[in-house]
Amino acid sequence: MIKITNLEKFYRTEEVETIALNKLSMEVNTGEFVAIMGPSGCGKSTLLNILGMLDDPDAGSYVFNGTEIAHFNERKRADLRKHNIGFVFQSFNLIDELTVFENVELPLIYTGVSSADRVKRVEEVLDKMQIMHRRNHYPQQLSGGQQQRVAIARAVVNKPKLILADEPTGNLDSSNGNEVMELLTDLNEQGTTIIMVTHSEHDARYSHRIIRLLDGQTVMENIMV
Amino acid sequence: MFKNYLKVTWRNLLKNKGFTAINIAGLAVGMASAALILFWVQNEVSYDQFHEKKDRLYQMYNRSVFDGKLWCWGTTPKVMRSSLKQDYPQVEQVARTTNANFLFTIGDKHLTLAGNHTDPDFLTMFSFPLVKGNAKTALNDMKNIVLTEKTAKKLFGDQDPMGKTIKIDSTDYFTVTAVMKDLPNNTRFDFEYLMPWSYLEKTDNYVDKNWGNNSVQTWALLKPGVTEAAVNRQVKNITRSHSDIKDIDVFMHPATKWHLYSKFENGKIVGGKIEAVRLFSIIAGFILLIACINFMNLSTARSEKRAKEVGIRKVVGASKTSLISQFLGESIMISLIAGVLALVIVQVSLPGFNNLTDKKLFIPWESTTFWLLCLSFIIFTGVLSGSYPALYLSAFRPVKVLKGTFKAANAAISPRKVLVVTQFTFAIVLIISTIIVREQLEYAQNRDTGYKKNNLVYTFMSGNIGKNYALIRNELLTSGAATAVSKTSAPMTEGWSDTWGFSWEGKNENEKLDFNVYNTDGSFTKTMGLKVIEGRDIDADKYPSDSLAILLNEASVKVMGFKQPIGQIVKNGDTKLTVVGVVKDFILQSPYEPVRPMVIQGPKSWFNVIHYKLNEKNTTAANLKLAEAVFKKFNSEYPFDYHFVDDEYAKKFKDEQRTGTLASLFAGLTIFISCLGLFGLATYMAQNRIKEIGVRKVLGASVMGVTSMLSKDFLKLVGFAFLIATPLAWYFMHSWLQGYTYRVPISIWVFVSAALVTTIISIVTVSFQAVKAALTNPVKSLRSE
Repeated sequence: MIKITNLEKFYRTEEVETIALNKLSMEVNTGEFVAIMGPSGCGKSTLLNILGMLDDPDAGSYVFNGTEIAHFNERKRADLRKHNIGFVFQSFNLIDELTVFENVELPLIYTGVSSADRVKRVEEVLDKMQIMHRRNHYPQQLSGGQQQRVAIARAVVNKPKLILADEPTGNLDSSNGNEVMELLTDLNEQGTTIIMVTHSEHDARYSHRIIRLLDGQTVMENIMV
Repeated sequence: MFKNYLKVTWRNLLKNKGFTAINIAGLAVGMASAALILFWVQNEVSYDQFHEKKDRLYQMYNRSVFDGKLWCWGTTPKVMRSSLKQDYPQVEQVARTTNANFLFTIGDKHLTLAGNHTDPDFLTMFSFPLVKGNAKTALNDMKNIVLTEKTAKKLFGDQDPMGKTIKIDSTDYFTVTAVMKDLPNNTRFDFEYLMPWSYLEKTDNYVDKNWGNNSVQTWALLKPGVTEAAVNRQVKNITRSHSDIKDIDVFMHPATKWHLYSKFENGKIVGGKIEAVRLFSIIAGFILLIACINFMNLSTARSEKRAKEVGIRKVVGASKTSLISQFLGESIMISLIAGVLALVIVQVSLPGFNNLTDKKLFIPWESTTFWLLCLSFIIFTGVLSGSYPALYLSAFRPVKVLKGTFKAANAAISPRKVLVVTQFTFAIVLIISTIIVREQLEYAQNRDTGYKKNNLVYTFMSGNIGKNYALIRNELLTSGAATAVSKTSAPMTEGWSDTWGFSWEGKNENEKLDFNVYNTDGSFTKTMGLKVIEGRDIDADKYPSDSLAILLNEASVKVMGFKQPIGQIVKNGDTKLTVVGVVKDFILQSPYEPVRPMVIQGPKSWFNVIHYKLNEKNTTAANLKLAEAVFKKFNSEYPFDYHFVDDEYAKKFKDEQRTGTLASLFAGLTIFISCLGLFGLATYMAQNRIKEIGVRKVLGASVMGVTSMLSKDFLKLVGFAFLIATPLAWYFMHSWLQGYTYRVPISIWVFVSAALVTTIISIVTVSFQAVKAALTNPVKSLRSE
């Protein structure tokens, strides 16, 4: 599904140039659950942003489902992204002014799903995440665990092939964290590819494979059994 | 998708009530001001443009050289009409107009009404529709009268006025032959009724065939297909070919230019009302822009709060275009709310605005065009104010904003700062202008008029006043109402007559010098409180030869070049007039211009007005009561009408007063809107720097120190605006003052006080938030981490 080769990314300020990704190459197959780990500043978030087409690499190749997209412009990337990728963030990133239902509905609006279909699909996914009873609440009225479940609901409502999770349990206590990991595992078992950035060895154990980064390079890969 | 945007917009508005209020209030006030001005502009631009034949309608004008300059004026000889009709086949119709002022009597009802004498063609040339009667015949008979609906109602109530009889003055009976729809608020014509020209000729007792007497307005309708230039070539010599006047060209001024382009300089149109229309349109644009700038500033200042939303929307699939349309939709919605509010403001303030501008503007609620324009105006405002924030916000990159590393730029020259400077530049220009307009007004008001206005009253000689003048004069004096009485040709505050027909020994015959002409029967200097510089007042009782005596003012003595003015002979045509006195210059016309040369003729001339100086020993009310009794006694049918000269004199400042009031109004509004924006910005700044303030206070900063630190940034912007505004304002006001010969010098203090006012206002605005921020307990602000 994903093949990156010699990917490079630099960050420049006036005085310093930081290398975030240094000729990084890796592959992720359809249906895999991959965890990316490494110390702060090792480039894992940069990698996730590039994989999620939120950012573009400075050099190298990124093939997504057989298409080279490293040179895609923002509009093309946005288009590819909204049909294929769902995001889950550490800080949930729900829109405060929208209700649970409306937050989950948002991706469907942007992909042009009809209103009747939207209601059906949002209710379906809210049911699955067991937050149906909270559908008319605003994010501030929910607990962290509930908010993350809404965020996951939003990530999967469009039935993406790939979910990118950036420390999804970072802001949660362990029981809520475990619940989220169970949800992700379920999704993976139903066929969704998942790439997750995490600091937690515990969470990483839910994955099939751990890629460890240091200074923008892969230093180790563990296959879980 | 639209529903979703609407929801977010609405919830955002409710969530930030303070900012919503500032945004909407600022926009509403800005939109209302712009709308009021646009109403005014629309009215000005549409003046007399509703006549169906406007493209063929012209006013006859004269052009001639005086004092070395080419002058143009729109009054013509009465006899021009018949010549135009007979000798110029390209001219289809011609009508003259001149003022009529008569006492209308129906039963016990007496009313003095102002109308026009005109020729029958008038009703078919112009598009003043008749409600009743036939436009082709309504003015055919000498004793026909056409009333406006309002006048008909005044005279006859709800009865049908057609065919009814009205007694005019105490002499004639007129029949109502037509009722005209009331005049619209955008025409130069102003009459309550129309009377046939033939009646004027009958009351005047002669048909004026003098080509040198330019006293009426002549309107011509050209035949279709005839060009203005072709007819202008032919009518140019009309006066020359009918008289021995050889230096007057006649030309036509088209209806499309009557109102906006009526200022001539050296024989050419140089502008007119169009200048005010342009200036006001620019002001309207700026006020709206300033209101929109508030919106831009507040929206972008709040960007950190919206950034997350933008990021999320982008991540879940929003394109830049859809975000731009979302934000534009939001600003249009706010603009819509503000627009509705503005409409209310306009409706409420329209009477005051009408009063101020001397207009009869109204909101055309039933007009579809009006509502379409409203809608476009709202969308325009929404797009204008929303486009920059939309582009700014939609450009956020999700990678940055979602990681929380996003921090709005605080560059040295950010667009937001430029916008604040723009607002304040405009506000300061207006403040400076206001001060200068007011100074100029005061300067002119304080100018010595040269005569004593207080307790001086005049009454027009209507009805039998002329006939009974000697008796009236006598009783006014003996009753103790007045201490001096003088019969004159015109009110003391108006120049009604002028001529270039005087000649004297030593006059350069090639030079055309124009004099104001004023007449008095005597007691002139005593009644008016004028200073006699040489010689004496005219007194026909004491000196019978004084019937042909004249007084000169100082300006006349100067242009005539008399070393010994007393006893000099001045000829008016063939009449020899003797100078018996010289009076100090006094202001008859414009208080902004030098006093023009003036000849005051003795009793053997024409008179329209009685001036009398009220007895200072009595109260004004008592004097007026006595005077009323006198006038009623000798002119019983007419209501006692009187005018105080000082009131009339004060009216000379109406235009400048209006300019002054409008300038202060605009300045006030601009400052208000700008400060609303400044307040909003200050609030955000205080919120954004709350942690910095906390740290500073923990490290020992004082409240005063923090407050001034926070205020300084804004004052810098205001100071910068002042630097830009000063030369601009100086330039504008310098050009404005050039229009006045008597003008106030622009002093440095104007700028100093404008700077002080602006600084104080902005300090008050900003420091409220700054002090609040500085007083916050640092424990609170630092705890949030």
